Amino acid sequence: MSDAGTELDAAQERESDTGVSLAKRLEREGDIAADYLEELLDIADLDGDIDMDVEGDRAVVSIIGSGLDALVGENGKVLEALQELTRLAVVRETGERSRLMLDVGGFRANRRAEVLELAKRVIEAVRSSGEPESLGAMSPFERKVVHDAVAEAGLRSESEGEEPRRYVVVMPA
Amino acid sequence: MLAEALEHLVAGVVDHPDDVSVRTRQLRRGRLLEVRVHPDDLGKVIGRGGRTATSFRTVVAALSSDGGVRIDFVDVDGR
Repeated sequence: MSDAGTELDAAQERESDTGVSLAKRLEREGDIAADYLEELLDIADLDGDIDMDVEGDRAVVSIIGSGLDALVGENGKVLEALQELTRLAVVRETGERSRLMLDVGGFRANRRAEVLELAKRVIEAVRSSGEPESLGAMSPFERKVVHDAVAEAGLRSESEGEEPRRYVVVMPA
Repeated sequence: MLAEALEHLVAGVVDHPDDVSVRTRQLRRGRLLEVRVHPDDLGKVIGRGGRTATSFRTVVAALSSDGGVRIDFVDVDGR
């Protein structure tokens, strides 16, 4: 095929890409991730059901079951690594960056609830004192939960420090 | 099982999955999983600053019931 033809094809492909709805793209991300994880569970002889969802603009894939602690690890370390690999598996198929979120055994759901509780207390404290307050070191996922809660409360927040000791500072509006 | 799990994890992220193979070697100091990939995929499985290689190691260590496993990544031409 001539170069001109190839370029035309590429342009048409881009156009059809933008025509594909976000929902469809996220659904596809979830499917690819589910296949990748399902086979891993199979090989490792682990029992788990895979649940797919979309939260805002990202696909969420959860491995549900008990006896999955190994796949979570200390402070979710294994979960983060598995999420990283799963995103790479998605990128290999789609060619596009993935922000897919992986949860295992409800770890993120539980952490989210805990972090939200903490964020609420700190938001109240900053409101009444008018002084910035720093939280402890958190994972990117946990910091995102705090930033979202702070924004919703109408205050400001920033992340400071270096991984893995990065933390959120909540500031008055 | 570990070698099979690692092979699946690696094959899922590279451009040449058919070129992925994992060999288990018993060394004096413990087990070594040697991952061979297509030369073009070596950078990909290692990742920026070794980040992806670390992720493979973290997941495989979590699946290992008897502790430490070493993982080496080499390309298929590697000796």
